[in-house]
Order: sequence, then C-alpha cells, then structure tokens
Amino acid sequence: MELDYLASVLVSSLSSASILLIATIGLAVVFGLMGVINLAHGEFLMIGAYSALTVTQLGLPYVLSIPVAVLVTMAIGAIVEVLIISRLYGRIFDTMLATWGLSMVLYQLAVLIFGTVSPGIGMPQYNIQIGDYNLAGYPLLMIVVAIAMLVFVYLLMTKTIYGMKARASIQEPEMAQAIGIDSTRTNTLTFAVGCGLAGFAGAVLLPIVPATPSMGFAFVIKSFLTVVVAGPVTLTGSALAAIGLGGGSSITASFMTSVAGDVFFFLVTAIILWLYPLGISAKWRHKL
Amino acid sequence: MNKNKIIGSILLASSLLVTTAHADIKIGAIFDLTGGLNIYGIQQNNALNLAVENINNNGGLLGDTLVVKSYDSQSELSKYTQYAKTSVLRDGISAMFAGLTSSSREAIRPIFRKANIPYFYSSLYEGGACDKQTFVTGSSASQQLSVLIKWAVEKYGPRIYVMAPDYNFGTISAYWIKKYAADNGAEVVGQDFLALTVTDYSPTLQKIQAAKPDFVVALPVGANQTGFLEQFAATGLKDKIGVVSTNYGSGNQQVVVSPEAGKGLIASQGYFMSVNSPENTEFTKKWVAKYGSEIPIVSGAVDVWNAVHIWAAAVKEAGTAESTPVIAALESGISFKAPNGIVTIEGGSHHLRQNIYIAEGNDQHGFNIIKTFEDVAPSYENEKCDLVSNPKLVKHFTP
Repeated sequence: MELDYLASVLVSSLSSASILLIATIGLAVVFGLMGVINLAHGEFLMIGAYSALTVTQLGLPYVLSIPVAVLVTMAIGAIVEVLIISRLYGRIFDTMLATWGLSMVLYQLAVLIFGTVSPGIGMPQYNIQIGDYNLAGYPLLMIVVAIAMLVFVYLLMTKTIYGMKARASIQEPEMAQAIGIDSTRTNTLTFAVGCGLAGFAGAVLLPIVPATPSMGFAFVIKSFLTVVVAGPVTLTGSALAAIGLGGGSSITASFMTSVAGDVFFFLVTAIILWLYPLGISAKWRHKL
Repeated sequence: MNKNKIIGSILLASSLLVTTAHADIKIGAIFDLTGGLNIYGIQQNNALNLAVENINNNGGLLGDTLVVKSYDSQSELSKYTQYAKTSVLRDGISAMFAGLTSSSREAIRPIFRKANIPYFYSSLYEGGACDKQTFVTGSSASQQLSVLIKWAVEKYGPRIYVMAPDYNFGTISAYWIKKYAADNGAEVVGQDFLALTVTDYSPTLQKIQAAKPDFVVALPVGANQTGFLEQFAATGLKDKIGVVSTNYGSGNQQVVVSPEAGKGLIASQGYFMSVNSPENTEFTKKWVAKYGSEIPIVSGAVDVWNAVHIWAAAVKEAGTAESTPVIAALESGISFKAPNGIVTIEGGSHHLRQNIYIAEGNDQHGFNIIKTFEDVAPSYENEKCDLVSNPKLVKHFTP
C-alpha cells in the first residue's frame, strides 16, 4: 500500500469522524444532559439545512445563513419542549414515541412546504492533494468545525452560569428550584440549545449533504448509537466514540467495501455495549 | 322505518349499484404519496390521473367513464398488500397501476395473478420480472446499460468503476455493467456497494482514485445519494473521470445537485423532459397546465402515462375490459405513440421496446439529449421470458 493512499485515508477518515460528531453533539446534549431520547433529532438537522438553504436562496451569503438556521431550530426546539417534552420528563419510552411521531410530522411538513426536491447549494470547488490523491477541501474543514463545536459546548456548560444552572436543573431539580433556579425555563433552554446544535449541523453540512425531507434518517441512527456508546460523560465520550466508530468505519470502507464499513460500525457498537452496557465513559470521573 | 321504506331504499340502492356498474370502468392506483418514496410516487399518481382525464375527455373507454380508485401506500410494503387486496375484493377494478420499488411489485404481483387482473409496473428497475398478469412499462437495467456502456467506453475509455446501492438494483446492474464491459473490450477495475443511508463518500472517492478508471457508473438512489456527485466534483475528479448513470434524474436529482457538480454528468433513461417530439410537447403542455412547471417530469411518470394508454388501447382492441381478452390483446403487441417515442409491448416478455436516451446534465439543473437509441428491445427479458408459449411461467429472473 502506498504511503500517499494511507495518508489520504487517514485524513479523510478524520473528516468522516468529524461529520459524525457534528451531527451528534446536539443529540449528546439532549440525551446526555437531559436523558431525553430525541428521535426527531435528524429532523432538526433537516430544519437547519432547509433554513440555511432558504436564506441563501433569498440572497444572503451562506456563512450568514448558519446563525439564522441555529435561531430557527432553537425556536422550534423551545416550542417542542414546552408543548411535548416538558410533560414527559422521566418517561423515557413515552418521550421516544412522542419524538418519533414528531419526526414523521416534521418530515411530512417539509415535503408539503419544500416539495420533494430543492436545488442544493453545491460544495466549494476547492481541494488539496496528497501525492496522487485529491481530497475535497470542505469536508476537511469539518474537522476544525467539530473541534470548535466541542470547545463551545464544553465552555457553555462548565464556564457559564447558564451551564451550571442547566446541569443543576437536570441532576438535582428540586435542590435547584430550592436555591432559586427556574428549572422549567432552564430545561426549555437546554433542549433548545440541543436543537440549535442540530440546526447548526444541518446548515454547516448543507454543502456535503443536500437538504431533502428524508435527510434526517441518514443521520439519526448513527448519531444515536454514538451517544449511547459514549455513555454518561457526554462530550468527551461522544468525541471518542465518533472518532472510533466513524473514523474506524471510514478506514474499513476505504480498504474493503462501504458495506464492510457499516458492518464495522454496528458490530463494534454491539460489542462495546455488550462489554460496557452503560457506555464507555460509565466509570470516568469527568462530568462532561 | 316501515317495510315499504326499507324495500324502497334497497331498490334505490341496487338501482344505483346497477347504474354505476354500467357507466364506469374502475382502475386501481397504489403509489407512495407520502413517506420517503413520494419523490417518485406523487408524480406517478399525477401521471395516472392526467392519463385518465385525457382518455375521459376523448370520449372515455368503450363509451364508459374511467374511474380511479387511488391509494397512498405511504412508502410501506404492508400498505401495498393491504390496498391491493382491498382493490380486488371491494373495488372490483379492471386493471391496477402501482408500485415503485421492486419489493413493492413482488409483494403485490401474486395478488393480481390470483385475481387475474392485469397489473402495470411503471418504473425503471433491475429487470427480469415475468408473470402472465404483470406488464412492465419502465426500462430494465440491461435495456439501458447495453447502449450506455457501449457509448461510454467509446467516449471515455475502457476502465470502469461501479458505485451502486447495496441491494438487487445495484448488484444486478453491476452484473450487466461487467457483461457489457467485456462485450465492448472494457473492464470493471473496481466497484463499491453502498448502504442507502451513507452520506459521506470519502472512502469511495479514495478507492476510485486508486483504481484510476476512465469513467464511473454511478447509480445513486434517492436524494441522499446525490451527495456523492457533489463530493465527486469538489474532490476535483470531474475533469479527469467521466460519470454515467442509468438512474440519475429519475427522481429529479439534477434539481438537487448544484450546477457545478451536475454539468456534464451523463444519464441514460427511457425519457427526459427535454425529448423533442410533438407527443412530448403535447404531454408536457397538459402536465404543466394541471401541475405547474416547477418540478420537472420524471421518467416514472411517463411510464405510468404510457401504461394507462397501452391498457386502454388493449381494452379497445378487445372490446371489453375483462382481463383475459385484455391480456391477449396486450400480448398481440400493442404500440403507442408516447411522449418518449413509439413504445411497443413485447408479447412474450410483457416488457416495452422503447427509445433509450443519453443526456448530458447542463448548468441549469436540466438535461440536453445528446443521443437517441431508437426502439431498444428488452433483450434479456425477451430471451428468458416467453409468456405466450409458456403462460404458466412465474419467475423473477436474475442473471
């Protein structure tokens, strides 16, 4: 095997892992911090993608469309939390059913509003070369974006007053209320943040994955498994799981077939969950 | 309620039943109007309604009005079988038009076989379905690939890479690509089968570069897989390696793909909206008047339009809508002046002889037709399946 192929495979698998991580972080916040299994996570990605697409079509530069997408998904996330999720805290299966239903509603709404096909925005035609091999530039940029997202969420949850309130409201809701934290509002905000991160992912991945009503399905399974493998230490765990599972399956796919890559992903997930039923971070001392 | 009233209403109801039975010919339609496959199903259903309207506006069929019993299969297989049974047992249909995926066709085919009702399957597919009651108006994989691979080897060169979805459409297409490559002195230097949920194609792109092909046969299914074409172009491979496909555009992927990635892609199908013929002009005019021009018409829609008209022609020829004479009329080799050229039912295989077009993606989310292969026969199906001499044959042939 030539060295340049090896190098290009390593770099591209890192970008594959980053794409998975970007799609996962929002779910990690909602599931990891709040214990809510949001099966409509993929649809929030889709909402983010369509928001960014619509704004770009109206003439705004693509970069400015990303914050708009985040705001739109946060707003919808907040409404969903107040109307549905807040009534179902602690009822994990009911939440799954409700969010699954929600995902179908959001999907069909997208079909009704945008139709089944919308023009994509295309990827920047920029690429780098490693030996004989070309790599598209934009997916590589996702490595930086994933790191930035991780740092942002880490700082948000550990260094800000909101972050402390958010963790307190979930971990000790009664104590949090006793010391004057409005835990209802904090939970709404945390769910909205998770949805906003999904919206960000949909918008930032738009050049790679065109906006379609069904795009959520492609992400939700792998994102969800990544979070489950990660376990209670949400952020670090998800980053490691994404690199291991996403990167590993990408390398497997490069040397064997894409089907083998998928088999790697699901097989390794099954083995890890068999060995560590509570996720890889079950015994870590970190909190995030 | 007194006795007279009851008798009266029974008489009234039965007289209503009698009149409807005489004035209408019912046909069934099961398409995916909601769910993940409605990208195709809505257009198929639109085409069916347009065709029925067209026939009714021209005096109906044998003096009767055509009535559609329409069902939404919601992109779910169980709904197909459920509605297929309902249409047979309750609605009393004379013909069925349904299905997009091969699995949906295989799920309902036995129901119409048992009921002896002609069933029309209208989508491009991997080929090989063979059943007395089943008629296929889409093109088969071998029908499209036989002309496309020959053309592409001449245009680009002999080294071929195959990127295909990981189910029978992809694997059977890959078989035909290998065969036609060998027939034309070319070879398949690599292939990758991908799950439908894959969104990140960088491993495939690395393997394509390692295999150094002259062209890639890309068979992306659904809108998710259009990401492959974006990533292919952004990696800078489009100028060095050609891309051809038998299904690109079948779900209007050219609308989703950006002009930078879509320009120069080669697609081959039995119909493109840009086909230049008086029949197509008339058809698109009717379509646009009813459904607008926002979304281009896909080949699956024209396949349904053709199916309804071919069935109607068979009913006229048979002088009745009853199944056995209609199937016999269909097997006599009915031709129809379709939007995509003259199409003819092959009596033995129940597949269509039809034009296969090769088109090049332009920078306006559309196609320019660059070559037309006229009256291409479904040769694999003709070779394997002869329902005239062997009417009891029921098989899905795979190479």
